[in-house]
Amino acid sequence: MREHSGIYPRGLWQAFALPGVVWLLLLFLVPFYAVIGVAFGGVDPIFLIPVPAWNPLDWNADSVVQTLRGFLPGGDYWAVFLRTTLYVAIALALCLLIGYPVAYYISRHAKRTKSVLLALLVLPFWVSYLMRMLAWVNLFAPSGYVNDFLAWSHILPDPPDWLNGNPVSVILALVYGYIPYLILPLLAALDRIDKSLLEAARDLGASPFRAFLHVTLPLSMTGVLGASVIIALPMFGDYYTPNIISGSPTTSMLGNQIDLFFHGGPQPAIGASLTLILSLFLAVLMTYYMHSVARATREVRDE
Amino acid sequence: MRDHDAGVSAILEDLKAGRISRRQAFKTLAALGIGTALLPALSRLASADDQLMGPGGIPLARPNKPVTLPLWEDPIKSGLEPETDGTFTIFNYADYIDKALVDEFGKLHKVKVQITTFDSIDQAITRLATHAVRVDVTEIVPDRLAQAVAGKLIKPVNPDYVPNLKKNVWPSLQSPFYDQESRYTVPYTVYTTGIGWRSDKVSEDIAKLANPWSIFWNAQAYKGYVGVLDDSREALALAMLYRGFYDINTEDPAAIDKALEDLKALIPICNPKVNITQYQTLPEGTSWLHQSWSGDLLAGVFSYLPEGTDPSVLQYWAAPRGKGPIQNDCWAISATTKKPVLAHLWLNYIIDNTVATDNFLNFNGYQPPMNSITPDALVAQGRIPASLRNAVMTPDEVGPDSLQECTLTAKGQAQWQSAYAKFVSGA
Amino acid sequence: MSDAVITRPVRVPSRSFGRRLRDWVANPWGKPRFLVLVTWVYVISSIAPVIIAIQFSFNDGRSLTAWQGFGGARWYWGDPVNSVWHDPALQHSLFQSLKLAGLDMAIATPLGVMLALGLARWRGRLASASNFLMLFPLVTPEIVMGVSLSLAFLNVFTFIEPSTTAQMLGHVTFSLSYVVVIVRGRLFSIGRQYEEAAADLGATPWETLRLVLLPLLMPAIFSSLMIVFAISIDDFVISQWLSCGADCDTIPIRIYSATRAAPLPSINALASIMVYFTLGAIGISYLVYRLMTRGEKPARGGARSMVSEMGAFDV
Repeated sequence: MREHSGIYPRGLWQAFALPGVVWLLLLFLVPFYAVIGVAFGGVDPIFLIPVPAWNPLDWNADSVVQTLRGFLPGGDYWAVFLRTTLYVAIALALCLLIGYPVAYYISRHAKRTKSVLLALLVLPFWVSYLMRMLAWVNLFAPSGYVNDFLAWSHILPDPPDWLNGNPVSVILALVYGYIPYLILPLLAALDRIDKSLLEAARDLGASPFRAFLHVTLPLSMTGVLGASVIIALPMFGDYYTPNIISGSPTTSMLGNQIDLFFHGGPQPAIGASLTLILSLFLAVLMTYYMHSVARATREVRDE
Repeated sequence: MRDHDAGVSAILEDLKAGRISRRQAFKTLAALGIGTALLPALSRLASADDQLMGPGGIPLARPNKPVTLPLWEDPIKSGLEPETDGTFTIFNYADYIDKALVDEFGKLHKVKVQITTFDSIDQAITRLATHAVRVDVTEIVPDRLAQAVAGKLIKPVNPDYVPNLKKNVWPSLQSPFYDQESRYTVPYTVYTTGIGWRSDKVSEDIAKLANPWSIFWNAQAYKGYVGVLDDSREALALAMLYRGFYDINTEDPAAIDKALEDLKALIPICNPKVNITQYQTLPEGTSWLHQSWSGDLLAGVFSYLPEGTDPSVLQYWAAPRGKGPIQNDCWAISATTKKPVLAHLWLNYIIDNTVATDNFLNFNGYQPPMNSITPDALVAQGRIPASLRNAVMTPDEVGPDSLQECTLTAKGQAQWQSAYAKFVSGA
Repeated sequence: MSDAVITRPVRVPSRSFGRRLRDWVANPWGKPRFLVLVTWVYVISSIAPVIIAIQFSFNDGRSLTAWQGFGGARWYWGDPVNSVWHDPALQHSLFQSLKLAGLDMAIATPLGVMLALGLARWRGRLASASNFLMLFPLVTPEIVMGVSLSLAFLNVFTFIEPSTTAQMLGHVTFSLSYVVVIVRGRLFSIGRQYEEAAADLGATPWETLRLVLLPLLMPAIFSSLMIVFAISIDDFVISQWLSCGADCDTIPIRIYSATRAAPLPSINALASIMVYFTLGAIGISYLVYRLMTRGEKPARGGARSMVSEMGAFDV
């Protein structure tokens, strides 16, 4: 099928796409190769700054192998890797548990108040993540409003110390911080579901709950997956949230290790290896997400 | 004969690269039948026995093994006129020097002055090495001097331009172990690493304990309000000193691992935070017991004490000489400077009595090693509370038997870093 | 056959409690009380902390947790040492954030619009590969991007030092994908009808682009500008990794260092200023959006709300 029916000159779209693609190649792919080069490279003996090995034949796999071994049970990074996975899994589950009903309600029901709700929903998205964390820290400080409320209402007369190495605070902070990035795409995905399909299901005799279960839920799955990937992957590399909320080794995540090896020291290759391994681990999820996205894009485009 | 030569060169290579010590080299060479003949070559590497080698063949300095840094170029001639016009760039940590004093210098010499900052010494060295910044003078720490000289990042100093060194600075720091004859540096601040705490929250009198460092391992009552320094050397050294192990420059994996185990034991006991913000958190009361640098306590009193708080609640203890770490920062002239004379004058300016004292008392709380600054005088003038008298150092605390964190070989650094990473990972 | 209505006893099945609960919960045409509750609780609990933080920026004392009375604009410009107006470091970070956001908008939006047009209409394997490349930054953890960019500037593009330039380059790189996704969504909802109509009426390709397509894309371009502004202001990791020191510090970096130490309400004031800015920006963009899409009918069925445009993930 001829695309443009001759409206636009040939090669126009390629030309349009070129600057952006070149930019991404230079500033996204090449830096990624730099990480590989440093991970497999050496270190300047005087300044201890990384000397990347560009040619795969020059690669020195010692750092990478050593780092990989650290991920085996009992290795250097095993505990922190487990902890990070646990935090991300719990935070993601909580985000979905809270976010899905919210998105569902707004997309399906909130007729009159829809724009108001939408605006309020989008608002945290606009407020800087760091500011929301600052607000969170102040609320949960020993003399903050949360503890005041808990003590006053006698729910927890002796409130725990939220900000001193408490994993619950870190997970809740992750949920609070990332949930807006989940709700918006989820909302968009739920919005796209054709209401007529649901009506058809009802006409065919399905109860409301079964209609939801068999029509809405499956149709929203790509959206759920996409939104989950969009927050889970960045959450894996988060290091500033534990630092702000806790600052204690008991809640440190994998990103903190990368941060440590990179911000100075004689072993940048280990930092690069950690980054590489993290990326490869997430690449599986990334690729799956992109496959389903590409499939969805093709379906939409061919309509 | 050729194999013989090859073996000898191999040994010399190893010696230069720091893989073996001079004594080992001697032994091996003696075994090969070569000894006294090679003495001149070996002694050219001016070092003591068992001294480890650093980058570029410069020996790693220790307080009891002072090092004279080699001159990679001659210092500038004496008697030159200072340059004017243009911009004079100072490379330093953020908030570590009073901008007012910097501007004064600029006015005095009719140049525009600007401060470029770095977040850590590692970042500073990297940016100087890659020429990412071009500065005139840079702040530096002694354990990076071997790197900086071997990498030709800093220029040698002509002492004729810096008379204040002999006039004002402590005699013990005029020819420090890390830079004998002060060929490259002048000292900027001196500080000890000790324990800072709030007497209104911590009931123990830490200074009177048999082993004050042990307070951390008995701090269950203060769980969540304890802190250790976010520094691989300082944190592990804390654990070493707790056990009475005073070689804080060790590269022995067993010693480092033991320190790591002790440090990890702190986590269930008092769940320490790991940061360097004690200069704010101690005065504000969000931290009660923190491994601190002496300057932090003073800076806390000068700048961060909330209104109405009694300064005497802030307490500090540092171990006597040889039992607790001391450190000093320095200034050096960057090799890329276009204003070398002015750079020398800056070094002289920063160790002027008034300038140094103002910077200390009005700004950063870190003590310069000036003869004119004594703890008694400061307490008498009411500049510091009596409870923090021992946060001010005296010249006799610096000597060949003092403990100072010094340069390690790359392998040693890697060991300390990896051990620290394990502690921070909370395993 | 008689016309009598056939009556049969109708048995209404009694609904079990579980079924009734489920229906109450998930009835798409009934009143979804549970959902209402969850939604409002969520909305309030996500905004309340921010409101409280803004409240404390007006605190009379130094505390961020204990309200000490209304102090007016003390932390905004009143306090001669620590207020945002008087503290050069805080001011500088405000300008740095705005500068980076402005540069990001100016560069990422045109680049992204072109890329979106190109990717949406291009076919072939190269096109899908480019599409994959474009989607990558959306899901890459920021620390991976920060590390890779800082290494690239250290070892490959050595002529670029950590500086505002480097930060800007990093910001544009991750903003591109957002712009593409938003604009592409709009493109799909417009469809090709208008361009084909214009061509039929005799417009040249450039006229079609300029006079038909571009105006139709305006809402999406506007949304992109706003989104790029928001994510650039918000960015912490990339700005920190590519920072040159105190001169390149942005507001999130300042908030981060302050929060880890002992913050003053001036940090709240700084962050609140950002909120006022972004609120103003949203307000303007919403008004402009309404103005631009006035009288427009969506080309596809289903609600095409502003959120879907700004949803940023209409991939």
